[in-house]
Amino acid sequence: MNKIFEINNLESYFFIFTKGFFILSSLIYLVFALIVVKQVTSMSKSVNDKFNPILVIFSYIHLAFSVFLILTMFGL
Amino acid sequence: MTRSQDLDTIAPDDIVVVSSPVKKVQKEKIIEEKKENTSQKSKKDFSQECYNILGHSKSPLSCFLINPDILSFSEQDETEKIYLAARPHWINNLHWMLVSALMFSLPLFLPFIIKYLSFINFFPVQYQFSSLIFWYLITFIYAFEKFLSWYFNLFLITNQRVVDIDFRNLLNKHFATADLSMIQDTSSSVRGLFGTFFNYGDVLIQTASEKNQIIFEKVPNPEKIIKLLQELRDLEEQNDGEQSNE
Repeated sequence: MNKIFEINNLESYFFIFTKGFFILSSLIYLVFALIVVKQVTSMSKSVNDKFNPILVIFSYIHLAFSVFLILTMFGL
Repeated sequence: MTRSQDLDTIAPDDIVVVSSPVKKVQKEKIIEEKKENTSQKSKKDFSQECYNILGHSKSPLSCFLINPDILSFSEQDETEKIYLAARPHWINNLHWMLVSALMFSLPLFLPFIIKYLSFINFFPVQYQFSSLIFWYLITFIYAFEKFLSWYFNLFLITNQRVVDIDFRNLLNKHFATADLSMIQDTSSSVRGLFGTFFNYGDVLIQTASEKNQIIFEKVPNPEKIIKLLQELRDLEEQNDGEQSNE
């Protein structure tokens, strides 16, 4: 019983909790990034302009980075 | 058999002339072409008038686009021509630009911050790296969302109607239109130090439709927009008068 509350164990619990929190946050962020792509694409369809493809590309780059974020979180 | 046809069979050189259906179609075509030509001419004339009233702009990122050929919207008719596309004045972007710059530069001061917040060193390097990526993504999306809110916040004046397209945030968008014939009254207000200095303000359009108000918020040169709307309404009234005379 005492071993459970040893300093090293507490530290590892803390890091497990932190890792879980980071992964959950990055997953929520991924959903958000998908919404951004969806919204930018739909707005680009509503208003056609010369600059729109750049915005769509930016939203996809953002999505790619949020996927990369999840991968780094799993690598913790 | 009608009276005229009856006479025509008896005396072909009678002064009563019944036009053939082919001639009728040709006549209608000529009238339609004339109408189209005059409408195109008036469109061209009015495009020039727009330049006279509002001046010229070339950049697609401008907040005041006159006769923008590169811009169109999904609900636009084939014959509809955009005379003006206005966005809120660029100075309204200054706030989020400064905040974004501050957020972006904050990790650069991290070595100084660590001196005071030594618990950060408690986390392994991997955690710090992931947190840094997260921070920059949040900074990017903050700036991107603000930019999109400005970029897609469009007020359009076409030859048929006024259109208000709002992109309030990533989860909210709004679309409102009012025909030019439905416009009852227009007014503008320029408020505050920045508004007065940079000459931007709100244009309020009172309409007879169900949604009786359309507001163009923080647009540059509100008095010029009102002048343009007035000219368009006059043109519309003139066209209506011509059509009723015909």
